[in-house]
Amino acid sequence: MLLCDFHIHTTYSDGSVELGRVIDLYGQAGFDVIAITDHVVNGDNLLGKLAQRFRFSVMGDNFDEYMADVQQQARRAWDKYGMLVIPGVEISKNHISIDMSAHILVLDVKEFIPACMSYEKIFLEAKRQDAITVACHPHHLSDNSRDTLYLWNNRDKYARHIDAWEIANRDDVFNVISLKKYHYIANSDFHKPRHLYSWKTLLNCKKDVESVKQCIRHNKGVAITLFRN
Amino acid sequence: MTTQIFSALTAVGLLCYGLQLWSIRAAAQKQENNEGIQTDYTPPISILKPLKGLDDNLFDNLESFCHLDYPRYELIFALQDMNDQAYKVAQKVKNKYPGKDIRIVAKRCNAGLNPKVNNLMAAYDAAKYEYILISDSNVQAGRQYLKSTVAPMNDPAVGLVSNLIEGVGGRTAGSVLENLHMNSFVMGSVCFLDKFLKLPCVVGKSMLMRKKDLEAIGGLHGVKDVLAEDYLLGKKMSESGKRVVLSPYRIQNVNHYWGIKKFLNRHTRWGKLRWKIGGTKYVLELAANPVFTSAMPLFILGPVRPAIMLALFTSMLKIAGDLYIGKETGTGMHPLSYLLVPLKDILIGLIWFVPIFSQGVAWRGNKYIIGKDSVLSPYTVSRSLAWKYRIVNSIRERFA
Repeated sequence: MLLCDFHIHTTYSDGSVELGRVIDLYGQAGFDVIAITDHVVNGDNLLGKLAQRFRFSVMGDNFDEYMADVQQQARRAWDKYGMLVIPGVEISKNHISIDMSAHILVLDVKEFIPACMSYEKIFLEAKRQDAITVACHPHHLSDNSRDTLYLWNNRDKYARHIDAWEIANRDDVFNVISLKKYHYIANSDFHKPRHLYSWKTLLNCKKDVESVKQCIRHNKGVAITLFRN
Repeated sequence: MTTQIFSALTAVGLLCYGLQLWSIRAAAQKQENNEGIQTDYTPPISILKPLKGLDDNLFDNLESFCHLDYPRYELIFALQDMNDQAYKVAQKVKNKYPGKDIRIVAKRCNAGLNPKVNNLMAAYDAAKYEYILISDSNVQAGRQYLKSTVAPMNDPAVGLVSNLIEGVGGRTAGSVLENLHMNSFVMGSVCFLDKFLKLPCVVGKSMLMRKKDLEAIGGLHGVKDVLAEDYLLGKKMSESGKRVVLSPYRIQNVNHYWGIKKFLNRHTRWGKLRWKIGGTKYVLELAANPVFTSAMPLFILGPVRPAIMLALFTSMLKIAGDLYIGKETGTGMHPLSYLLVPLKDILIGLIWFVPIFSQGVAWRGNKYIIGKDSVLSPYTVSRSLAWKYRIVNSIRERFA
């Protein structure tokens, strides 16, 4: 089984550890597959504008640099640790109301996707890029300040666009995902080194991007594990 | 009067510290002199690596042992079970170096209370060479490590060789404190005991022995129920008439992401060890902490001028001394991190008192009561103290 984490932030957005060190942290711990998913924040309200102003977001003007850096580190990770690194982003639509907010992981992203686009357009664009979409922390978290409920509240409308839902995020488990029998993965939402020890995904597939994507899409051979030291 | 008493104590502490600096410098020069020496004595060696959980930089630590400049050696990674987080890392290192003689031994063993010794037993049985090197999972070694360490073994009178350890890395406050302490107090004490008192001070992170010598002193079974198996092995070896040698070759203990709690936990545990082993000699340790003794008048008298001057002067001397050691040994720590030296010494001074009141130790997920000579017994809550644990636990649960 491949030990995986598909939700990791670096100093490209609001993570506290820079990309190279994140790769080393996961490589040293024996991980097989990780995805770097820095925030792409919507700039159409005050919250988003502030995040962009203080560089807590990947933006159109530094997306190419971000991708190049991730790809360079991915080569190093493969050579040194035999670890597969998938480039991604977390499209973060933040609003004052938690019912209006949603975060979507786009794994194996190729081109920049602005977060101020409508949900339909974001999903269509991700599909066009043959990327995987994951609904992040879709239900109430133990830390209420990060709640993003829009996708869950509108699941009937959007579920068909979503490849998988986070059934566990860091220390929280969302049993509603299993009750609805949605496709699932579990991630750390890594921002600090201590977040390494959290819920993770185990995949029973080959260690290459296409096989990993297929495995998540079909959701066969997927398990979750609480990674503790 | 108070200031004078503590000034005298501080002077004694600074004198001890000066001797430690001297002995570290001597060891550093010895390593430099030995570095170019070529030795023909290269018997095959089995390196036993007990693994449990993820240490900082575990992959690099294990990988560094695949790059040793030595003709014949095997590497045995020992674990209690395949579900240990370290198993995957060990497997990756093994896969990356198919040409190296690497084996992974995952076998549960509950022979004793020391988890490291339990871990080592199956690896010891699997070791195929006469020379065995017990090496902790949290250390990294340079290419010349084996050649330098085995050289003293050319003398049949030598029974055990251990190495100096230096703390490197440090990306969090806890790691910086840990490395500062490893590179001053721990390294200084080991060098001081070796140079001036000729006492065998074995650091368990690296111990090279012959199987026949180890078996003659009771083997690993003889130390399965003690916490300080390294100290006891050194003591037994010395009592059996074999010499215990400290190799000046330094190996690195990599600490990147330690929290303050982990730092305090480790040094409380090590303090308890020294208290149970050294007895009254443990008192001398406090006197050998000049920063702490110089800060005492500040605690007692408040911020009066002589007390402030004494504490400031001693702290500056200690910072300069530790900076000098860092430069001499090349630990690569950032110069500004040495500003934390006084804080570290005061914390160490405060936790010095803990072993006098507490016998419990927590180590790698296990809890024990530690007795004389570091003999372990299972941690049980006596009835008279049960109420205390119930209250503490209920508070913890509430906070959780």
